Amino acid sequence: MRRVSLLRLIAVFTWTGFSSIGGGRSAYFHEALVRRRGWIRNDEFVQDFTLSQVLPGPNFSNLAVALGYRLAGLAGGVWGLLAIVLPGAVILVGATTLYLHGAFGGSATLLIRGLSAAVVGLVCMTTLRIVRGSLRGGRGILVAVVTFLAVGPLRLSTVGVVLVMAAVSLALHWAAPPPSASPAGSPSPEEIC
Amino acid sequence: MADLALLTWTFLWLSLLCVGGGLGVIPEMERQSVTIHGWLTAREFVDGYTLTQLTPGPNMLIAVFVGYRAHGALGALLAGLAMFLPTSVLAMVISHHWQQWRTRRWAAIAERALIPVGIGLMAGGVYTLARIAIHDALTLALAVLTALAVATDRVPPVLAVLAAGTLGWLLTR
Repeated sequence: MRRVSLLRLIAVFTWTGFSSIGGGRSAYFHEALVRRRGWIRNDEFVQDFTLSQVLPGPNFSNLAVALGYRLAGLAGGVWGLLAIVLPGAVILVGATTLYLHGAFGGSATLLIRGLSAAVVGLVCMTTLRIVRGSLRGGRGILVAVVTFLAVGPLRLSTVGVVLVMAAVSLALHWAAPPPSASPAGSPSPEEIC
Repeated sequence: MADLALLTWTFLWLSLLCVGGGLGVIPEMERQSVTIHGWLTAREFVDGYTLTQLTPGPNMLIAVFVGYRAHGALGALLAGLAMFLPTSVLAMVISHHWQQWRTRRWAAIAERALIPVGIGLMAGGVYTLARIAIHDALTLALAVLTALAVATDRVPPVLAVLAAGTLGWLLTR
């Protein structure tokens, strides 16, 4: 059941939590667990990512729970969550104390503008890699494009879009499931990269 | 004491509104924390969100910032627990059962059907982030440079992001 030891999981999740600054945090998990270490296959990552987006709750912690559970069961989920939330929370309380004493000026705002722009480049590249590894078939592409347009440019409510598009996608896939609908039918590493 | 309970309750139900990324819940959280309950000022709320972006961990740690501003360490603890604990338990329960369910036909279809929705949400998140962060030639150049650096697979993402961020800061200050 356990793919990696708890200690390694805690170390990697803590480091991923630490290095994930500026937004687009799921990209760092993809880099650390799929691309670098190969602990998790791309299609497994997309499943957990989808779960973390569809379930209520902050998606970064949901993703840590789902990935941690996949890697090391119940303990993996619990420690994965603690590893990404606790260090950041302690640092944030420290930073908040400094902030409330007026320690930050305009330079922090300038720095975050550059960081946010750079993060857009990172998440763009990660999304492209994930799309190439797991999006196939006309129905899937159609659903992905419409979902993107609805929550992106059209700025519709995410909750409504998820409910409607999940129902539409289920109907489309239910009507004509592909002949080889085996859950293990996952892309090989060569297809992913 | 009553206000502490109110703080905990508010972040508990706000956590349930986070679907498909945290950015969507920010307007409602600002309304609750600033306008309705007066836990902090609008300026402090924006600065708090910036702080959560600059520090590691989920950006929904903004709950800890608001809780700390409102009621000190105890407020930070309760708001943080309310934001992360119940939804994490739910994610754990679903993850657990999904591994058993996914061998069945309906689950395999549901999984195939939900993946494109997740990918669409991911792309929508990139769009939203870009709309906020890319507003001139410099920020666009920083984004492209970072994407190219990450594409080479030779630069750790965090280094690429930090280098680009520092470059942008040096060029704009």
